[in-house]
Amino acid sequence: MDSIQRLITSLLLGFAISTAMAQYYSGDHTFDGEHKNEASLSLTTGKNVITGPAIGNTLHYKHYFNKHWSIDGGVNTQYTKQQYGFKIKGEYHLKVKAFHLFASGEYMFNHYNRFNTNENVENISVRFERGYWDITLGGSFIGYNMMGDHYGEPITLTFGAHATLRPRTNDWNVGLLFRNYDDFYYENWNINWGLDFYYRLNPKVKLFGEFNIRPAGSMSQLASKYETTGKLGLIYRW
Amino acid sequence: MKTSITYTLITAALLIAGAILISCEKVSPQGVLMGNTSVDDRVQQSMINNSYFGMSWDKTLADTIEEYSFLVGSDSHITIDPGRLEEMLDIGMENEDLFFCHLGDLADTKPEYYYNTELALSKASQKWFHKYLVPLTDTLGNVYTDTTLFIDQRTNTIYREDAFDFLWPSSLPFYPVVGNHDITHNGWGLYSRLFKTTFYEFKVSTIIDGDTVHDRFIFLDSANGTLGKYQIEQIDNDVFNLLGEQKLIRHTFVFTHTNIFRPSLNEFASTYCREELYYILDKLADWNTTIAFWGHVHAWDERDFGGVHHITMPSMNFVDHPNGGDDLLVRVTVKKDGSCKIDRVGLYSKERSRTELDKLGYYTKAK
Repeated sequence: MDSIQRLITSLLLGFAISTAMAQYYSGDHTFDGEHKNEASLSLTTGKNVITGPAIGNTLHYKHYFNKHWSIDGGVNTQYTKQQYGFKIKGEYHLKVKAFHLFASGEYMFNHYNRFNTNENVENISVRFERGYWDITLGGSFIGYNMMGDHYGEPITLTFGAHATLRPRTNDWNVGLLFRNYDDFYYENWNINWGLDFYYRLNPKVKLFGEFNIRPAGSMSQLASKYETTGKLGLIYRW
Repeated sequence: MKTSITYTLITAALLIAGAILISCEKVSPQGVLMGNTSVDDRVQQSMINNSYFGMSWDKTLADTIEEYSFLVGSDSHITIDPGRLEEMLDIGMENEDLFFCHLGDLADTKPEYYYNTELALSKASQKWFHKYLVPLTDTLGNVYTDTTLFIDQRTNTIYREDAFDFLWPSSLPFYPVVGNHDITHNGWGLYSRLFKTTFYEFKVSTIIDGDTVHDRFIFLDSANGTLGKYQIEQIDNDVFNLLGEQKLIRHTFVFTHTNIFRPSLNEFASTYCREELYYILDKLADWNTTIAFWGHVHAWDERDFGGVHHITMPSMNFVDHPNGGDDLLVRVTVKKDGSCKIDRVGLYSKERSRTELDKLGYYTKAK
């Protein structure tokens, strides 16, 4: 019985890894044939270990200077967590044969008011993108200040994978995600799992959403759920 | 065509990875996705057992004692040979340490490993009993009518004769917390049979100039990489407030398995989620913690952060240190004036042969 359970779990894990892939989350608007500036607003709600119920919202803006360079900024407010943050990200887009390659550098700041902690994150990542999937690899430098002391963690691997049911140019889509980051955090070894979707309401407006499970202690046989969230938002493109 | 080859290669790689995961006893894919027990369940069980078994390890030092010490070890990962645990307990008794703390991953999760662990603890219990316990006498020096009662005169703690065997919590003062390797493969069943709790506290009290001051020892379950909602609720409800005696607490020492600080690039990063990591650091400061002890990464790290001294311990097992090392344990000595001294203590025993262990009564037929 245990072998069967392990087999099923392994197959599920294999499926997740193979199809997997990160994300259509609000902060990373993948290429769907043409570059357009984008603004998005999303509402996130869920439950976690520390605060119980949680609710927050995120605002993003992405501006393309030309077909290669873009800049992306965002602000985040989490009411029950008493957390706010902002980030800014520069990205370079290059088409290499069938791949779209996005190299990015990002700075993120978060203030956790409940714990009087300031968190600074620098991230460098490369995202490989094709019609149905994308993979992100990079590194994060995470540091925090609290009670007058500072700790800077050694570089942490950033990775994400995301696969969609339909090509990303489609008017609707559903995807499976697997990553150790989200709009406003970079984790260490805690790998998020989730489903996301979008539906194009008209050529300029998309409805998007996400269901995200944030485990604690995964990758070391410990996985317990830390947080479950749902996100719903709108993206305006022009 | 290229796409087809790519997908074939990916599928083949996944099948190979799946076969490895399925065949490996210690890397369970099921375990990657879910713990065998939830931290909430373990903490609830611990709370019930703390109450049901009337667990209290509070100790009041005799007036004549000018200082006391405790010895801390981590990640012993006992398999067949519990020699490093035996050595730790022997060293502690030789040095007259008051008690022992262990930061988890005590034994890898097989019944025979736990059998050997229990046997090692029982042997140490017997040594400890003979070294420290004397028959309880009345004020005139007459042995109590109940001859099963004994006393540790250092702390005036009364024990029953059954402390002679390892019958936690009423015997050898060995205080562990659960680690991630203690909970996989239904390990919590093995662990909790020996140790009834993984979420508890006790205090060591000293009378100074007529006033009683308390040193508080808090043990937290972080084996799943999170304290979990229930444990956090208990902490936030001031379960460790010692009935309002907060102002009389001199030192707080906290022990748990999963590390916060990463000793170097070569070790795994902390597995607490961001907010929880900050919550814990904030809580330790709130408790006015003197030293927080962490295990899990098998590497040494020592730093001050937020007014708390943090010690991340190396492992004490044979695999990581086949020849031992000068600094695998930590001894903390607390003097009557409140000052603390931290010393690193070596372990040097070598792994014994099955024949040798067999003669000592250990179970050696495990693969």
